[in-house]
Amino acid sequence: MSRVARWVPPASLILSLVGLGASIYLTIAHFTSPNVLACPANGTIDCALVTTSAQSRFLGMPVAVLGLVWFIAMTALCLPAAWSTEHRLVHLARLVGSIAGVAFVLWLVYAELFLIGAICEWCTVAHVTAFGLFVIAALTAPALLGEPPDE
Amino acid sequence: MAKKRTTAQKQRARLRQQQRAAEALPKNRADRPGAAPSRRSTRRSSARWSWIAVGVVVAVVAGMIVLSLNRSTPQSTDRGSAAAIAKVTNVPESALAKVGIPKNLPTIPHLPAGTPPVLQDGKPVVTYVGAEYCPFCAMERWPVVVALSRFGTFSNLRTTTSAANDIHPNTPTLTFHGATYTSDYLVFSAVETHTNRPTSNGGYTALDPMTPEQQRLFETYDRQQYTGGTDGGIPFVMIGNLYAWAGATYNGDTLNTYTFDQIANLLTDPSNPVGREILGAANQITALICDLTGGRPASVCSAPYLQQAQKGP
Repeated sequence: MSRVARWVPPASLILSLVGLGASIYLTIAHFTSPNVLACPANGTIDCALVTTSAQSRFLGMPVAVLGLVWFIAMTALCLPAAWSTEHRLVHLARLVGSIAGVAFVLWLVYAELFLIGAICEWCTVAHVTAFGLFVIAALTAPALLGEPPDE
Repeated sequence: MAKKRTTAQKQRARLRQQQRAAEALPKNRADRPGAAPSRRSTRRSSARWSWIAVGVVVAVVAGMIVLSLNRSTPQSTDRGSAAAIAKVTNVPESALAKVGIPKNLPTIPHLPAGTPPVLQDGKPVVTYVGAEYCPFCAMERWPVVVALSRFGTFSNLRTTTSAANDIHPNTPTLTFHGATYTSDYLVFSAVETHTNRPTSNGGYTALDPMTPEQQRLFETYDRQQYTGGTDGGIPFVMIGNLYAWAGATYNGDTLNTYTFDQIANLLTDPSNPVGREILGAANQITALICDLTGGRPASVCSAPYLQQAQKGP
């Protein structure tokens, strides 16, 4: 029997898929042209500025690709079968992955606000979904990784 | 009354549940009376930590947003329109011809005879090393873009301004960061090493690293003996193995009193001092590039006013 609320698996899967879609879009833009992004350039919001900045790479890897890989992994970890599995490692991986994801999002938000000086709408979609996944993973972790239920 | 009964019932049920759970404990835990409530409280404590973690993330993001909104550091914000950028890359020949190469422009230093050719994919290379914060880079990009647009095509050119906390603050300009250039006659190798955003230690945030070849040319030829300027000064522009200079080749001190769009419009008005300065410098750079490409394309390099320009050693 599942140890999480009924809404958790579909909600997390939807968030993962939305984030996956945004990261696919950003990856395509990275390897083609930042101009393909449907995004205004009005000073505060400027996707091309963000996606071509020095901070658009992390340890030499394009951040868009890192996001894509992360969302693929989180989508797998948020499938209904993954939520209902008894394998503790799956739940641990989801929690650790979401913590790593949200930590990276904090760095990227800092970079956008203080280093680049512009916000990328599509990146923000990915950031919000990563945060949503972190919230779900954090709040379900005690039930999934704690002692088994009494009854 | 009904509510009170319900609460009492709930409490009794919870007690029964705890007792059952305690009885159901594995033998190795039998010596831990009260294990079930402790387990529940552990889970409750874990849940509390989960909420705290979520709250910390929310607080950090909110804090960053508030700090960024209240930041006192001035930001360069002038962003020209795409139509204005197109005016810079498509200056009418008639306007350029009307200005020609003014006599008051400084002579661009020749590199010594015997300087090895600078080639990429079999084409001569025009090298640019600059930074977005640098006001003289901001000035020099205007004629460089006008001149290079006569030999090829820029894409993804964007606008920016020089730093707000330097001399000639907020000079509107273009940036080569993220831009590409294609030409049948030459290669344009450009790098913007820093943004216009100050850091807390008095510098500017890093942007693009130089390629090894850019680094080599910069370290070898951006020297007073070649450019006549300070060692390592920017903007550093090198026309193949023929010419090199550091700094702006015209007087652009008043550029920051205009917006980007206004300057772009002045490029079709040779009677205006700003337009005349930029177009004159662009013609001079065009002539140097014609020297590099061997007069190709003829449609550009055969203009009489370019023929009178300085030639290599």
